[in-house]
Amino acid sequence: MIRLQGYTINILMGIAAVTLVGLAHADMLDGYTLQIIMLIGINCVFATSLNLVNGYMGEFSCGHGGFMCVGAYVGSLLSVMFFGDSKLFGTALFPPDLAPFLFPLVLLGAMFAAALAGLIVALPSFKTRDDYLAIITIAANYIIISIIENIDAIGGPRGFSGMTKTVNAMRDFIDLPWMLIWTLIGVFVCVMVIRRLMTSTYGKGISAICQNEVAAEMMGVNTNRVKIMAFMVSSGLGGLSGALYAHVYGYVNAQTFGLLKSTEGLVMVYLGGMGSISGVLMAAIAFTLLVEVLRFVLPWLNTALHSINLLPSSYQVDQIWTWVFIPLMLILLMHRRPEGLLGNRELTDIFPSLKRWFTLK
Amino acid sequence: MPLLKIFSLTQRFGGLQALSDFSFQMEEHELVGLIGPNGAGKTTVFNIVSGFYKPTEGSVVFDRKQINGLKPHQITALGMARTFQNIRLWNNLTVMDNLRLAGYAWLGYNFWSAILRTKRYWQAEKDIDNHAREILEIMELTDYAEEFPKNLPYGLQRRVELARALVSKPRLLLLDEPAAGLNSADVDDLIRHIRWIHDKFKLSIWMIEHQMKVVTALCQRLTVIDFGCIIATGTPEEIQNNPSVIKAYLGDETL
Amino acid sequence: MEFFLQQCVNALQWGSFYALIALGYTLVYGVLRLINFAHGDVFMVGAYLAFFVSTGLLAPEGMFGFSREIVLILTIPLTMILTSMVGVTLERVAYRPLMRKGAHRLYVVITALMCGLILENGNLALLGASRRTLPTLLDKTVYNIGGIAVTNLKLLVVFTAVLVFFALYFIVTRTRMGMAMRAVSWDRFALPLMGIPLEQVVVFTFALGSSIAGLGGLLFAMSYPVLDPYMGAMTGWKAFIAAVVGGIGDVRGAFVGGFLLAFVEIMVAAFLPSTFRDLFAFSVLLFILWQRPTGIFGKPLTTKI
Repeated sequence: MIRLQGYTINILMGIAAVTLVGLAHADMLDGYTLQIIMLIGINCVFATSLNLVNGYMGEFSCGHGGFMCVGAYVGSLLSVMFFGDSKLFGTALFPPDLAPFLFPLVLLGAMFAAALAGLIVALPSFKTRDDYLAIITIAANYIIISIIENIDAIGGPRGFSGMTKTVNAMRDFIDLPWMLIWTLIGVFVCVMVIRRLMTSTYGKGISAICQNEVAAEMMGVNTNRVKIMAFMVSSGLGGLSGALYAHVYGYVNAQTFGLLKSTEGLVMVYLGGMGSISGVLMAAIAFTLLVEVLRFVLPWLNTALHSINLLPSSYQVDQIWTWVFIPLMLILLMHRRPEGLLGNRELTDIFPSLKRWFTLK
Repeated sequence: MPLLKIFSLTQRFGGLQALSDFSFQMEEHELVGLIGPNGAGKTTVFNIVSGFYKPTEGSVVFDRKQINGLKPHQITALGMARTFQNIRLWNNLTVMDNLRLAGYAWLGYNFWSAILRTKRYWQAEKDIDNHAREILEIMELTDYAEEFPKNLPYGLQRRVELARALVSKPRLLLLDEPAAGLNSADVDDLIRHIRWIHDKFKLSIWMIEHQMKVVTALCQRLTVIDFGCIIATGTPEEIQNNPSVIKAYLGDETL
Repeated sequence: MEFFLQQCVNALQWGSFYALIALGYTLVYGVLRLINFAHGDVFMVGAYLAFFVSTGLLAPEGMFGFSREIVLILTIPLTMILTSMVGVTLERVAYRPLMRKGAHRLYVVITALMCGLILENGNLALLGASRRTLPTLLDKTVYNIGGIAVTNLKLLVVFTAVLVFFALYFIVTRTRMGMAMRAVSWDRFALPLMGIPLEQVVVFTFALGSSIAGLGGLLFAMSYPVLDPYMGAMTGWKAFIAAVVGGIGDVRGAFVGGFLLAFVEIMVAAFLPSTFRDLFAFSVLLFILWQRPTGIFGKPLTTKI
């Protein structure tokens, strides 16, 4: 029983995940809700992976969207190559029945490609820190998008689609909400990798670099290697979020993954507190929900304000206010809690009684 | 064969000659001191030996291997550790984690073992944990294992740094002003600890120190440098009566 | 050859805008070690302020009855003053309380990023999507020098940028305030000991940087009269990169970096498909940073043990 307690949270999460899949399978969730849930999962992967570099390592990567982009495109291309008929790759490589089994390969390929792109960013990080690295990552983000937009074979600025076929192939094999399952698995893998990394002495080298790089190098930490590792893991998992995104929406466009996407990632990381898995997960959920809630609240607010004649009839409150409210809230939150929701602590540090049920450190 | 042998090191920073023609050697299990006025180039010597600077000229041989040109972490892996003049601990990691991390050089598992939690991972973590706890006990720090270094008093922080250097299993320990900023009781503790680890681990220790009390209590011999040049060598008593040393510290007029 | 020279003239004009924005980044960074990501949007605000000021002064009722030349002469200082107030307000309201609480440096950077988002989206939300056009303040005259067409506006832009550079260089190296600014970047804690309040220096820096951005916004709007709330974002990011390539914290660096970036961009757009512009511009910049990690005028980073 005592042994089991440590796994309670895992079991609870597992039950929650199965329930979710069950509900989706039984058509109890409408398409919109399902899509939001998957988007939350994608954002969780995106934010926690960025947190590895920006939170734990204390570097300032501003271009995480670029890695998501690489993952999204490579994932899509592999998916279309394996299971779709296209001008680019000819007929499908594999029969559609293999789709559920080979889909992990698509995700792995996307992660691998994004990790390679991360390597390119990691190399200059040996010589420079924070502000200069910020520039390099911003430039890398631009460069990645620019390269993709200049390759006409994969759609260039028009974007790329055809991944729905893979998703349908999986559904034809067994009728399950496949993308929800893969997203949940993605979140689980991402959190587990980062948790296991950061609780090992090997991974704590990342924290050592953050706090005193000179001491880290002097005490035997191969700082260059650790930086490469951290950047590659972070960008690889960022690529995973991209591949999931591509399959959930069935369409990708390089412009989606511009600096605004990277900024969203930064918002989630700094909202949650740098270097806290539970904080960033909470922030990712809160952020995604907030965007969706505002989508309903704003038109409602518009009607309300007009009905009491507070606004001139020529003026409409539109969706753009979302991106005024969210930054404003973040600024106010930072003034109240300058270290983010949880700082670099985990939920278990704030509520020690939770330690009986799970640990994240 | 000496443990550490330094051949005519020269270090220039732009136009400044921080170190010129510095030669030195020390045997296994020696405890020697490096002293000199402020800005004489003492820390520069340590920075070159530990790999932080590349010397302009000269070479450093540690345990029969030429080590200048190696990266600091490689030198640490060969069995050399150091402390810093101004404490450089990882303040947001616990004392225990600070110590564990110093075992990084001989960790012996990779990223995939850490993620997949292989048998090798558990074994390595157990080894490092045991070793760190052992050092913690020797240095009388067990009570502070889960504290954060930033919350500890200065004297204890110094001691944690010394303990951290020990965890990397060094054969040569470089101490950069270990007694700086300590009160007299802390200094006595420090002398006791250094003497104890020197005997217990059969360590060679090379230290920079200003306080004569520490130097005379511990060091078998001393090297004195001024303006990057060696001006005297000998036992602490010899050095204290050496006219050129007195001149370097007190200036020309005094005598 | 003529085509090339013509492109050079364009690059000089375009580079002037980058340089004027990059200066603001560099000044603030030099004093606070803060990347003021909202600065590009301050530039945008400058352009909008120039629009409101000039249309206000040119009001059709002839309330003031100013000629266009006088309006231009009045618009320049008014825009600069108003924009500097925006910059100082940002510092006062958003950055200073956070810094005083000792928040992590990166949180202040994120706050700056958020302020930028608020400025650009708030602008769009309040003013709506209809594009505004700056009235013509300067009659266009084209000079033909050896087959190269140079408008008086281009000359004005480049001339202003050079003038600003020398004025700034003078301020930073010769005046008491400028010396205080440089002193802060060396040792923030020693400055109050010298009898100069830190906050005064910071406010001065923000005012200076923002007014230059406002001037840049005005000139930009005169060259490309259609205003867009997002015009500052992209230009701002690029100007920041230019500042870093030049060596952030150095006034000369911001200038050289700005012109360099513009030169690469214009030349790529002139001789290659324009979709390659960003790709080449950023690759060149990355290459420079790879070769000189602290920028062209940046001092090498040293760590002391």
